[in-house]
Amino acid sequence: MSGFLEQYGFLIVTMVQAGLLGLSLYFPLQAGQLSLASPGFYALGGYVAAIMLTNPAFSGLRDTLGNGMFPLTWLVAALLCGLLGLFVGVPALRLRGIYLALATIAFVEILRVVSLNLAVTGGAIGIFGIPQAFGFQDRWQYLWLFGPLLLLTLLFARQLERSRVGRAFRAIREDELAADAMGVPPTRYKVLAFVIGAVLAGIVGAMSAPFLNTWNAKQGTFDASIAILAFVLIGGSRNIWGPVVGGALLTAIPEVLRFLADWRLIINGLVLVVASLYLPQGIVGALQGVRRPPPPRRPPSVPAVVEAPGGGA
Amino acid sequence: MELSQFLQNVLNGLAIGSVYAIFALGYTLVFSILGIINFAHGAVFTLGAYFTYTLVVGQFENNGLLKGINLFPNGSPLSGNPAVFALATLIGAVVAGLVAVLIERLAFRPMRARGAEPLLALVSSLGVALVIVNLIQLLVGAEIYNFPSDAYGQVQPALSFHIGDRVVIVRTVQLIIFAVSLVMLAVLGYVIGRTKVGKALRAVAENPGTASLLGISVDRFILITFFLSGFLGGLAGTLVGTAFGVAGPYFGVTYGLKGLAVIVLGGLGSIPGAVVGGLVIGLAEAFVPAQYSAYKDAVAFALLFVILLVRPQGLLGRAQIQKV
Repeated sequence: MSGFLEQYGFLIVTMVQAGLLGLSLYFPLQAGQLSLASPGFYALGGYVAAIMLTNPAFSGLRDTLGNGMFPLTWLVAALLCGLLGLFVGVPALRLRGIYLALATIAFVEILRVVSLNLAVTGGAIGIFGIPQAFGFQDRWQYLWLFGPLLLLTLLFARQLERSRVGRAFRAIREDELAADAMGVPPTRYKVLAFVIGAVLAGIVGAMSAPFLNTWNAKQGTFDASIAILAFVLIGGSRNIWGPVVGGALLTAIPEVLRFLADWRLIINGLVLVVASLYLPQGIVGALQGVRRPPPPRRPPSVPAVVEAPGGGA
Repeated sequence: MELSQFLQNVLNGLAIGSVYAIFALGYTLVFSILGIINFAHGAVFTLGAYFTYTLVVGQFENNGLLKGINLFPNGSPLSGNPAVFALATLIGAVVAGLVAVLIERLAFRPMRARGAEPLLALVSSLGVALVIVNLIQLLVGAEIYNFPSDAYGQVQPALSFHIGDRVVIVRTVQLIIFAVSLVMLAVLGYVIGRTKVGKALRAVAENPGTASLLGISVDRFILITFFLSGFLGGLAGTLVGTAFGVAGPYFGVTYGLKGLAVIVLGGLGSIPGAVVGGLVIGLAEAFVPAQYSAYKDAVAFALLFVILLVRPQGLLGRAQIQKV
């Protein structure tokens, strides 16, 4: 057993981590909003933890708190990411359509360029020698952090779906204008959904910085945005298990495909194309669909047009 | 700022801005018809540059599966002569356009036929981009390839003129980029505004259902749109490649992302908007002071946020009224 964990521990933790990042994108999707900001908040959370755990400015605090420093980094990361989420979300979420996706791409790029150039984030080299959380000896022990976080997040998502807020999210996703007319303020709930995702991604980042030992600007890139989006859409975006399954699978597939060497990323791209064509509801959705009749098809050859900003049908 | 410095910045900004404009037009054309963003556009840009490079040089000495293969043992017939180089650029852009058509057939049309969520088309176009970029890397490696310095013929590398005792330098490549972009914009404006094809395209963009009732083959005009989009993207790739070198399979990614800022700034789906947005972002980048040049790549995205705050419909977009 310990041999298994030593060999595959890193991969397993990464799979759980991917599921969590997928969930951070799942929350805004609940309210019908496509956000690509998760890597930005993940990178920010990681930088917060890395700076608090290595920067001399915090050495006094570290000595006083000892292991208590780690939960503190999670808290600070969550708060900062939540605030920044408000700041980014409010201008973009007043609008409908694709604007949030574009604004979040811009956000991730701005954050990347800034972190490449600031002294406190270590510039292009990044931050090295981040201490292992709670003196963990092996990478698999991080399951003790990511595992409970995943469980809590899933419980939270489940409770949220059954609550008034969750119903408001769904109402906005199905028809924003109608929701507005029924007294559900769309902007407020869309921002809330976005901020929940931001906080989660920030905490995952803060936990990941000690796990990865180093932190640099490569953690938050457009490529990462795409990877996380793929976790959710291929896993299934209408069910809390979708992002978890998608994240775990898509993280494991490249490992399994390692024998393909240089062809690996090409196959990965093909998987994205084929899965979005043949599994439009995602893997979890397809499994559920075995039990339920398929939804009615739209008439062919008329393109599905995303609603223009502020426009209606 | 001194006049000479100011002029220098304006010239630099217009040259790169005009490339942003024709590249971003590729996004706009597809968006105005399908309402989705084709994330493979940056990859098509990269492909255009590599296609032209292949036609002109014909060998990739550094790395990859094509290493050591020389397509033109007696030297490329398409090298050295500016007119022939223009032909190579044109062919490169046409092939890029055909690739875009292929992308539409493989990644977008099946989605429409199934009535899939538009978000999924995003993912499948990203998947296509991933395939293209990594295929390039597999074939020719990740190294930078530079076009031969005489690609545009035996021209002076730069022109300079004096303002007072200061010198303003314009690279010949910049002038060519600017001129080609202007010509392309004029041609495109003519095609869309004055021809029957353009009229049909506008009809499809306005309402595909009605257009098809009126006897316009929607799928065919979507193909034409993708061809135009890929053509413009591939052309922009070659132009940037001649100015800065073909900087590896990922060099389209930055342009792909900046192009998004351009179309939001100008107004989503607005053709003049893409042009104005491209020029504004090019100029804004050129005026970043030297000591902050590391932040240059963030300028486009900062402008995107500003426009979302003050004028969400973009500089030239029209505000739309919500209707049920």
